[in-house]
Amino acid sequence: MSDKHKPQPMVDEVSDFEILEMAVRELAIEKGLFSADDHRRWTEYVHTLGPVPAARLVAKAWLDPEYKKLAVTDGVKASLAVGVDWINSPPTGFGTPSDYCNLRVLEDTPKLKHVVVCTLCSCYPRPILGQSPEWYRTPNYRRRLVRWPRQVLAEFGLQLSPEVEIRVADSNQKTRYIVLPVRPAGTEGWTEDQLTEIVTRDCLIGVAVPKPGVTTNAKRPVHPAVHPVHHDH
Amino acid sequence: MSSSTRERVLRHINTVGLLQPALHQATHAPYPDTIDHTLYRAYTRGVHDVGGEPDVPIQWEEKEEEQWELNTFATCECLAWRGVWNAEERRRRQNVDVGQTVYLGLPYYGRWLLTAARILVDKQYVTLTELVNKIEEVKKRHEQNSSR
Repeated sequence: MSDKHKPQPMVDEVSDFEILEMAVRELAIEKGLFSADDHRRWTEYVHTLGPVPAARLVAKAWLDPEYKKLAVTDGVKASLAVGVDWINSPPTGFGTPSDYCNLRVLEDTPKLKHVVVCTLCSCYPRPILGQSPEWYRTPNYRRRLVRWPRQVLAEFGLQLSPEVEIRVADSNQKTRYIVLPVRPAGTEGWTEDQLTEIVTRDCLIGVAVPKPGVTTNAKRPVHPAVHPVHHDH
Repeated sequence: MSSSTRERVLRHINTVGLLQPALHQATHAPYPDTIDHTLYRAYTRGVHDVGGEPDVPIQWEEKEEEQWELNTFATCECLAWRGVWNAEERRRRQNVDVGQTVYLGLPYYGRWLLTAARILVDKQYVTLTELVNKIEEVKKRHEQNSSR
């Protein structure tokens, strides 16, 4: 769609969003609402985020029954063991302004599969899982997952047998979720690092399950950015 | 859930799932007697409350993040960090107050950005004139830089 209707490029193809973004940021800084340093520190914090801490939490829970108990009863406390302090890791010192400090870890069983959505917006446990994928934010995923979860999971490549109950967790401002999947067969004797590798972002959202030898999300088309994020601050 | 409640809920989410922003439609601003209870409820819901609405399967894709999108996220968080707005009003402004056309029609962070611009004006941190002038200034600066 965007290719067919691409407007005539302005000089250097700067978009209206890019212009407005610079304008709003510069005005906010000029008016002293926040500082350029705040913005830089926040951006650096975001660059440190990703799904690895959540994957490690799962691996630890698989290996240590006591830790698993902690994880399913107090996700925020369990996060500390994987280096995520929901209050103090963000530069604010009081958590992130938009992720209330409440993480629930949803434990799958062979007969029960959890999957996470946010029907009202795109709530996501950023401090331990990073930024949400674009598909998670689409109205389509949010509309359909709560009503046709089995079909949507099948579209993601996860075919569940009819005996497996699917439970959809609807995130909100105050509560964020990650899925603790069933430890797959063929991982006996594996180390925490080995186990961490097979717990992908998609497994933690619940649209995939971990498999030995699979360490990346399923391959999907990627919509490229015009001016992608550069990480060299 | 009783079966009649279930029926009502399904009728509702099926109705709102079909409401789409239409750029040209002869029935815009309809006569009041054309709005029945079902349509009234559909139009007066929060437009972000999409759970259960019917939709067709789509190709699931990943998307690379634009630099302005990350900057917008940081700006919105910094505005919250320093007390300009809180999570509740952000949600209302970004997800509900924009209306259905903008909600469905703009990119995800496009909505965030528009809302960030509006909060500066609405709370009188900047005047609308300052905002318009700044946008012009940024545009000019960009044109100069790229023609150099």
